[in-house]
Amino acid sequence: MRLLLSAELLKLLKQSKTYYALGAILVIELLILITAYFQGSTILDLLLDNLKQSFYFEGSLLNGNLIMYIVLNSLWFNVPLILMIVTSGIVTDEYKDGTMQTVMLQAVHKWKFILAKYIIAVLFTLLVIGFMMLTTFILAYSLFGNGDLVVYLNTLNFFEANDAFHRICWAFASGAISMVFYCVASLTLSIFIKEAAKTWIAAALFLIITTLLLKVDFVIPALNRFFFPKLIDSWQQLFYYVPDWTQILINNAILILYTLAFAAVGTYVFHKKDIG
Amino acid sequence: MKKLLICTLLLFTTVFAQAQQVDKDLLKIKKRMDSVKQFSASLVLDLDVPFIQMPTKTAKITYTEGKKMMFTSKDFVMLPKRGLDFSLSEIFKYPFITVDRGTEKLNGRLLKVINIIPTTNQSDLALATLYMDTKAVRIVQSEVNTRKEGSYTLLMNYAQLKDILPSYVEATFAIERLKIPLNFMGKGTTIDRKKMRSMETKTGKIKMQIKNYNIKH
Repeated sequence: MRLLLSAELLKLLKQSKTYYALGAILVIELLILITAYFQGSTILDLLLDNLKQSFYFEGSLLNGNLIMYIVLNSLWFNVPLILMIVTSGIVTDEYKDGTMQTVMLQAVHKWKFILAKYIIAVLFTLLVIGFMMLTTFILAYSLFGNGDLVVYLNTLNFFEANDAFHRICWAFASGAISMVFYCVASLTLSIFIKEAAKTWIAAALFLIITTLLLKVDFVIPALNRFFFPKLIDSWQQLFYYVPDWTQILINNAILILYTLAFAAVGTYVFHKKDIG
Repeated sequence: MKKLLICTLLLFTTVFAQAQQVDKDLLKIKKRMDSVKQFSASLVLDLDVPFIQMPTKTAKITYTEGKKMMFTSKDFVMLPKRGLDFSLSEIFKYPFITVDRGTEKLNGRLLKVINIIPTTNQSDLALATLYMDTKAVRIVQSEVNTRKEGSYTLLMNYAQLKDILPSYVEATFAIERLKIPLNFMGKGTTIDRKKMRSMETKTGKIKMQIKNYNIKH
């Protein structure tokens, strides 16, 4: 298994697609950061407009933490798209290059082979999120400084700088679980579809549908609570003034279970399927 | 002779009435407040507004006679525009008359109540009601109606009987509902239009504990 993992890691590191993805994420991040700055000042003007009549404000709310929050809101659609393209390529490229048959001629268990791909996809996703988190933190704090965060979630919530930083870190951790879910789903899709372009379309469709379903009211409470599109933005709950930690943990645990279920289905299908 | 007597009486009444236009106790309080030339203190702020959640904040205030009050804080703080005018300079800025409203008991203390009515349109003040502790020579409560900045109520507590400046101020004011830009709303945020409409104007409160006074007379 260790050999399979190192072989998969080597493949991922050798392909230029990986670096294109990292570059694309950095470009998106920079663009979001610039727009977040302008968006941030407009948002603050609108949010605090009627409070200005009664209060003097001391200190600035247009700081690294607000920029990070706006970035968090914007990233979770663009990043999974790039990640899904790269991770689905782990399987589709093997089919396209015909290396899948070559590997299967060796004494390799099919389920171990595909499991190694899933593990590498997850590690790659976590690495990208870590990279994204680090670069955004460096850029946001060095350019805009530290300070209190203001967020509107039913009420106008103010968080002190340290508290805001911790919440943002947890939000990245929760967001990483959602990203892992998307990547595993795209890898499973690639096992079914095999072709790269078709898999990308299916993965993009999956992402769009999931995002759309997030706002849909399914009437049945259990579906509204536990259906996977409803669990994707659990990170947002961390910005309620008093976060419901139990609910956040449950949501993320269920999403991990969904991820494992998708991986299990993919592994089972791949194991049963003829390579051809 | 009779006409002269009436004229003298009328003149005397008018002069006496003018002299009585500003309450003596208020002038005493003003004089006492004016003795404070400079002060600095630390503030502990608690905001109590229905749609705002904010942790307890700290700030420092510095006052120098004739200058605007200065605030400094490491964090982001929201300080009320009205309510920190301990020198009563806002009230005394333009001419006014006072109307004695008698006495009222508030938290076991007998307080003198007066109305302040500005005599010029230049003043932003429309009407103010002051509750004065004439024994301790200080204001305990004030209800202020302004032309442009709405109404607010101030409640002041003092640590000791001899204190000029309050150790606790509670400012109550009306506040309009928030206008939220849609793109800033979290995905989990829902718009309850009925609730939003009912929240058009709400009452907000800011509680200020004022500690570590450094007063220069």
